[in-house]
Amino acid sequence: MNIKDKMRARLKLSRPSLRAEARPPGQRSVCGSQFSAANLPGALQLQHCTDCGHIQYPPAELCGACLGHTLIYRNTACEGTLLAQSQLHHSLWEYFKRRISEAPWPVATVRLNAGPVVIAHLVGRDFNAGDAVQVFSHSDASRSVVLLAVSASANIETPQLRQDIVAAIGLDQPAERQHGI
Amino acid sequence: MKDYSGVVLTAPISLGYARQSPHGAAWFVGSVLREMIRAAGINKVDIDGISVSSFSLGIDSAVALTQHFGLCVRWLEQANVGGVSGILAMRRAARAVQCGEAEIVACIGGDGAAHRSFEHTAAHFSNWSTDAAFPYGAAGPNGPFSLITAHYMERYQAQREDFARICLDQRYNANHFPGALLGHKTLSLSDYLSARPIAGPLHLFDCVMPCAGGEGFLVMSEERARQLKLPAVKILAADECHNAHADDPIQDRGGWTRYIHDLYNRAAVGPEEVDFLQTYDDYPVISMLQMEDLGFCSKGNAPEFVGRTDMRFDQSGPGMHKLPHNTSGGQLSCGQAGAAAGFLGVTESLRQLTGQSQKNQVPNARVGLVSGYGMVNYDRGVCAAAAMLQGVDR
Repeated sequence: MNIKDKMRARLKLSRPSLRAEARPPGQRSVCGSQFSAANLPGALQLQHCTDCGHIQYPPAELCGACLGHTLIYRNTACEGTLLAQSQLHHSLWEYFKRRISEAPWPVATVRLNAGPVVIAHLVGRDFNAGDAVQVFSHSDASRSVVLLAVSASANIETPQLRQDIVAAIGLDQPAERQHGI
Repeated sequence: MKDYSGVVLTAPISLGYARQSPHGAAWFVGSVLREMIRAAGINKVDIDGISVSSFSLGIDSAVALTQHFGLCVRWLEQANVGGVSGILAMRRAARAVQCGEAEIVACIGGDGAAHRSFEHTAAHFSNWSTDAAFPYGAAGPNGPFSLITAHYMERYQAQREDFARICLDQRYNANHFPGALLGHKTLSLSDYLSARPIAGPLHLFDCVMPCAGGEGFLVMSEERARQLKLPAVKILAADECHNAHADDPIQDRGGWTRYIHDLYNRAAVGPEEVDFLQTYDDYPVISMLQMEDLGFCSKGNAPEFVGRTDMRFDQSGPGMHKLPHNTSGGQLSCGQAGAAAGFLGVTESLRQLTGQSQKNQVPNARVGLVSGYGMVNYDRGVCAAAAMLQGVDR
């Protein structure tokens, strides 16, 4: 590696604000990576315990109810209830800093009818606590799977429709730096 | 539960608070140790037990620090449980001294604050946080706590003005405590309300400032403290409960509810008899949860309670009901020094109960309640600890 490349790499590592492209946080635990892999097909796959039937999230190695180890990812109903929502005006991560510079970033806590409570990106702003919502999974610009909450009336039947929702909030594209270094 | 008779806490030290620091966690832990040894008038060899809490020790552990500091101990603990680490360290160390496993235990929390270190801590706080909370806006603790706060405000009709009561009185206390990082600045209601938004209902003055710092105290037998002529504090009762109410979809109570009546019975002191309350105030709503769960008011009534309560150390506020609260300014005004934040309420209580506080001394402080909360593994703080402390008559 020549000096120029070395300096560029160092700059990229130590000054995320100077990167041309910023992506959402991509790091995941082993279980988180498995969650991503399991969710590439289908709208929402969560861990189901084949011993006791417990459905859990966030992903873990053992069942949180019976400590069994026979967890498998299964299709899970997307319906849930919005418990709380929040517009983020500040972030520690460059991708979200750039998105927030355009508009606050909405997130929500949703209780799925299947049981688990999830934190998700919230698509849209006209929500109240107690509203019926749907939660689906989709890969983001870091190729990691995240959850999105949309209104109960939104059509999320096909992969294309879900991808359109993700594209509309820019989650499938890196946030680009407007001016050069 | 057996009582904690015969054991005392002494030599409280708080030092080195800074927004950024070139020093690592070991510097803060070791500096607190040095100052405690000096304050107690003992030698390093007298310390035969150590409990360390820190988020930023990296690959070093508490045992590595014994070699760094030239300590030979026969009792060692690492309590990396954030906001309850002070009370947990106190409980464990007290039992060690009571059972004769150690004679003098140094309990220390310390963390550095290198450039961008908070970002690293937030991104790697826990597996569940990394997988299921941080990717959603990467707001650090502000994300989950904005959702907890929004839910509390909706469910119990709390207003930002109610949270301001806590923040403003704590800033007044910090104005009289030299160690507080924000103690040189006053805070008015209009400052509070017009602060820039951070996350949902949370604005700038609802959020603690991450910083570097160290806190610690010594645990020894009452007899030893008397020989050393050290002002000391005894534990009337203490308890902890983790991951309680796990089925609540969003947190609006903590594990205190599981033991608080029992704790008051064991201490033979009720909430109306304490001279001050130190809560873990990473966000004002969390102090409110503690006031409710610790029995100072009923669930959902904290907004009304803080509205009529004067929480200044000197009882100079207009509220008719007096309860000095977070008398050094808490984390909201001192800064949040990583795991040392879990010690802040304990060391401040020790200073108050031994009359070692300077300008922020609560008059005639005899008994105090200190509470800890912490570790947002995913969507809520999992730990809840509390201790009733009383100054030893000299």
